[in-house]
Amino acid sequence: MQHYLTIILSLVGFFAISQNKQILYGFDDVPQSLMLNPGMKVTQKKHYGIPFLSQIHFNGGSSGVSVYDIFKDGSDNINDRITAKIFEMKNTDFFTATQQLELINFGWRAKNEIYFSGGIYQEFDFIAYFPRDLAILAWEGNRDYLDYEFDLGEISTTGDFMTVYHFGLNKQITDKLTVGARLKLYSSMFSYRSVNNAGTFVTTLGDENSENIYEHTVRNADVTVETSGYASLRELDGASQVTNEILGRAFFGGNFGVGVDLGFTYDFNEAWTLSASAQDVGAIFHSKDVENYRAHGNYTLDGINLIFPPLSQGESTFPYYDDLEDEIEREIPIDTLHNSYTQLRPVKFNAALSFGFGRFNASGDCDCLNMGGGKLHKQNVGLQFYSIFRPKGPQMAGTLFYHRRLTDYLSAKATYTVDSYSLSNVGLGVSADIGKINFYIAADNLIKYGNLAKAKSVSLQLGFNIIIDEE
Amino acid sequence: MNKTLFLPIFVVCICLFFTGCIKNTDFDQAEDIALTPVVELDLIYFNLRAEQFFDSINSNPILTVRDTTDIKFLDDGTLQESLKRAEFYFNFTNSIPRSFQVDFQFLSEVNDTTYVTQTSVSQGTPNAPVISEFIENIEGDDILQLTKAHKVVVSVTIPSSDENLEGTLNLKSKTTYFLEY
Repeated sequence: MQHYLTIILSLVGFFAISQNKQILYGFDDVPQSLMLNPGMKVTQKKHYGIPFLSQIHFNGGSSGVSVYDIFKDGSDNINDRITAKIFEMKNTDFFTATQQLELINFGWRAKNEIYFSGGIYQEFDFIAYFPRDLAILAWEGNRDYLDYEFDLGEISTTGDFMTVYHFGLNKQITDKLTVGARLKLYSSMFSYRSVNNAGTFVTTLGDENSENIYEHTVRNADVTVETSGYASLRELDGASQVTNEILGRAFFGGNFGVGVDLGFTYDFNEAWTLSASAQDVGAIFHSKDVENYRAHGNYTLDGINLIFPPLSQGESTFPYYDDLEDEIEREIPIDTLHNSYTQLRPVKFNAALSFGFGRFNASGDCDCLNMGGGKLHKQNVGLQFYSIFRPKGPQMAGTLFYHRRLTDYLSAKATYTVDSYSLSNVGLGVSADIGKINFYIAADNLIKYGNLAKAKSVSLQLGFNIIIDEE
Repeated sequence: MNKTLFLPIFVVCICLFFTGCIKNTDFDQAEDIALTPVVELDLIYFNLRAEQFFDSINSNPILTVRDTTDIKFLDDGTLQESLKRAEFYFNFTNSIPRSFQVDFQFLSEVNDTTYVTQTSVSQGTPNAPVISEFIENIEGDDILQLTKAHKVVVSVTIPSSDENLEGTLNLKSKTTYFLEY
């Protein structure tokens, strides 16, 4: 087993994840797994999510540092710990937060055997890479970093708050193959991004020909921040007005986008199954309420050059300081632009290879009720792969899973996930049917629940549905 | 894994889940977090020529020349709170065969004097310029005075001058700001 693990680890690499719902993917007892792969095998006849309660998802993570790393109870100084962490972390380390709330989710199998599903959910997604150089500059200053080029391009962050309307089709087209697609309309309520920045800041010691002791140089700076849905908020007064305005955009009041989810499930034979999906292949077109800021240019600061002009009584000298400020603004102007921009959604890719064994037979005897439908295995083990496209490239994760149907009303899925947050992420999901009410909960990093402060990421999904099974 | 084994594990996991907690941490330490950057920044520089100390039209020596600049960042509210120490460094290169007295007078926005300091510069020759360095370290209560300053007046005084005087007085300067947020 350890050899297999080593192989998986080396294949997956030590990348990090966010938005990964490794427990829910392929967990076919829960209707929301259809959101992760529109081409999964649907076992129920109909489902209705209980409004506002069908899926509550939260994921927060930081790849380089945990709460415990900074705030642990110890005799050493907290500032020393922060200093050590700043130098230990890389500019590819990041902080993320994702939250989703389903407002509506429903699905039904039509007479033509197509399973239709649709709904509305709200999503908040944030990522910020660790701007290591700027953190060092803020924490230590420039005295000990003469000639060191601080990289302004390390600034990389995006944030989105949107409503998603979706409708999907799912059909088993042969004995072996099930496919599905989902169309999504995005209504962006608020969005910002600052990516693809460039430039350096360096302080160098001048020589005898220099104007002054140092030269402070900003070189090839090009830093942009794009926002939509922000400019109009600035004029509002107070938190309640801002909240009302943002929520007012939830129903097609903001900027629009369109995207698709695609997926399939293929049974090689009785035991082996491959599935894969791509989510959010699409873009949001920001044209309303757009305000972008761009600072670019080169500048070398030498200080203030006094001229000592001969002055008559009452005459004032040159406005050196104001001139200097004007010069900086001229050389590195901060432009405010209103040009619309297109933002690609972060595409998520999921895949799983699973091996099923033991026929699931809830009644204990003959599986008469399930003769025509899909053959459900009692237990499944397998591998999953996840990746998401982020500003600095894809982030990936690999998962080993074990899924077991315990009774016809209770099933569970356990996962072991490798990502750059940790190598020991164990997760567990449970789906319970009480009458027609389905309740599920899935959480990862369970080993760290003994002390959440040590966890670099936490992920939680839970929800309630009404499920009507095949008769 | 059979059912008898799975269920206890399942129960343990659920218990873990509902007892998730944060231990061995002390969030009061947040109050001790202090950013203590040390920032090096150029201040003023000039090149005073010897003829600037003589009025050739009226044939009068000008014994003191004076110039003023705003340094608005000093009395900025955030700097007032966070500046713990400031170290000014002045480097004069003098090729004028006279010594000089240089006065730095810091003024508030309404021209009240908040801080003064002065230094002397050794005389040099056009062929052998002489370097004089001056370091002014400001901390404690003096920081309060310094951070009320909105502008600085630099006065350069020569003991005597004539129309044949040659050379230049060059100043380069910087400040090291010891900050704490």
